[in-house]
Amino acid sequence: MPQTEERPAASLQVVGKTPFAAAQGETLIESATLLTRLGLTSKVASRHLNFFYGENQALFDNNLDIAEHRVTAIIGPSGCGKSTHLRIYNRIYELYRDQRATGEILLDGANILDPRYDIMELRRKVGMIFQKPTPFPMSVFDNVAYGLKLHYTMKKSEMADRVEEALSRAALWDEVKDFLNRPGTALSGGQQQRLCIARALAVEPEVLLMDEPTSAIDPIATSKIEELVHDLKGNYTIVIVTHNMQQAARISDFTAFFYQGHIIEFGETEEIFTKPAHKQTEDYITGRFG
Amino acid sequence: MKLRPATGRRLTNLAVSVWAGASALLGIVILFWILYIVVQRGLGALHLAFFTQLPTPPGMAGGGLANAIAGTLVLTAAATLIAVPVGLLAGVYLAEFSEDSKIGDYSRFSANVLMGMPSIIVGVFAYTLVVVPLGHFSGYAGTVALAILMLPVVARITEDMLRLVPNTLRESALALGAPRWKVTLAIVFRAAKGGLITGILLAVARVSGETAPLLFTALNSPYWFHTLGEPTPNLTVTIFNYAMSPYPDWQQQAWGASLLITLGVLLVTVLARFLVRERKA
Repeated sequence: MPQTEERPAASLQVVGKTPFAAAQGETLIESATLLTRLGLTSKVASRHLNFFYGENQALFDNNLDIAEHRVTAIIGPSGCGKSTHLRIYNRIYELYRDQRATGEILLDGANILDPRYDIMELRRKVGMIFQKPTPFPMSVFDNVAYGLKLHYTMKKSEMADRVEEALSRAALWDEVKDFLNRPGTALSGGQQQRLCIARALAVEPEVLLMDEPTSAIDPIATSKIEELVHDLKGNYTIVIVTHNMQQAARISDFTAFFYQGHIIEFGETEEIFTKPAHKQTEDYITGRFG
Repeated sequence: MKLRPATGRRLTNLAVSVWAGASALLGIVILFWILYIVVQRGLGALHLAFFTQLPTPPGMAGGGLANAIAGTLVLTAAATLIAVPVGLLAGVYLAEFSEDSKIGDYSRFSANVLMGMPSIIVGVFAYTLVVVPLGHFSGYAGTVALAILMLPVVARITEDMLRLVPNTLRESALALGAPRWKVTLAIVFRAAKGGLITGILLAVARVSGETAPLLFTALNSPYWFHTLGEPTPNLTVTIFNYAMSPYPDWQQQAWGASLLITLGVLLVTVLARFLVRERKA
């Protein structure tokens, strides 16, 4: 994907926010340096992030910056920790008692792993789309209205407008506008996934996490969702975990390659796919393992 | 290497299929046999008077079991009112909040043991708990006994049904910023609704046919049902008493009562199946 940003003159003149860790004078972090060079803001920054399933460590010292209003793809072989990494961004792993994370994840500079960080507010700002579509057992309308009712109070007419807006942004409105009272589970798989995206968009998030969002969906529905991701990135910061490398190449601006819980390489997607710096990255994207 | 002849395997396959089929058939035959006899003997007793009148002394024609029908309905309803809310909440705890907790393990184990407990022991327990302190048999004691029988069934069914709800559904709701209790009430309960209703109906059906726990608690009564504070008429103990009596007209009434309970349980079970099918559609 071509980078349209003008690169700042080779100087330390920083456009946008200074990445948090760099400002603290820590060791240079590859992703932070790159975003700074490109004049992009780091929306989500993980610093020295470790993750444990009980006794087993799954992530090791992850440092990664997610550029604001860009699509960042996380790729790597099964079990490399890419989903695990993503699931820390909204602390959804906390549902399971034996899972824990150490280190920091900075959302706009504030550490979300701090227990004092309001988890409801975090999850409103950071929406998530799962591998399998998960429509709630209620109507299409109520599916989208569910999150809205959690976070906002509004008149019925405004609610209807917001639901329509969310469904339109998820490119689903035209297909469901006459069936808003049908159960969400009655839609096709691809429609269900876009319903889940609409549901996530309705609460006005800033970041969208997508955990292999097209792996349970047919190719035509997949291309619709990829188009949608492309359209959404102007307004949202998107992180997508995918095991489909063509997908990562098609839709992302940045790519992080994970292997055995370590971030091996991070860079602009074009760079990663044309001239990866690490042997492991090259082996993976050329299909030598995975 | 030599190819093994398939004849032996085919024969084994045939034998097991026939055995399994015959066993299934036996179960069905017994059910229909009972149904046939109960209908054959009991249908004659079910006139209008059976549903509207009080029992008559032996030898006197007519009369019915209206008081016992009403009593059984009240006892079952009261036990349901106690056991369902407590059982549901216990099931919610077991399924949603007891991860890695000792209390959860102990509760689950107790519920399993309690489910296998002979109902007469539960009756004796309710006897010492309620009848002895009050000094007389009462509907309250019967209600307590039935509720104790129902509680573990409702709790375990609730747990099983909630566990069938995929975790991804919980995660999606939590990821929208919903607090845990709202996820349980609005999403998980809704997703498990059909199974929960079915389970509760089956528990009700089971308890409504219990006799032993009522013998020591609600006892029985030939009078109209007034309050749970006194011995309460009910169908099952009536069947027990009448069936053991030497009077043909009482025995006839017992057959009628048996048919009524069987039909009631059958109706509730069919209703439960219907609800499950509804959910799948």
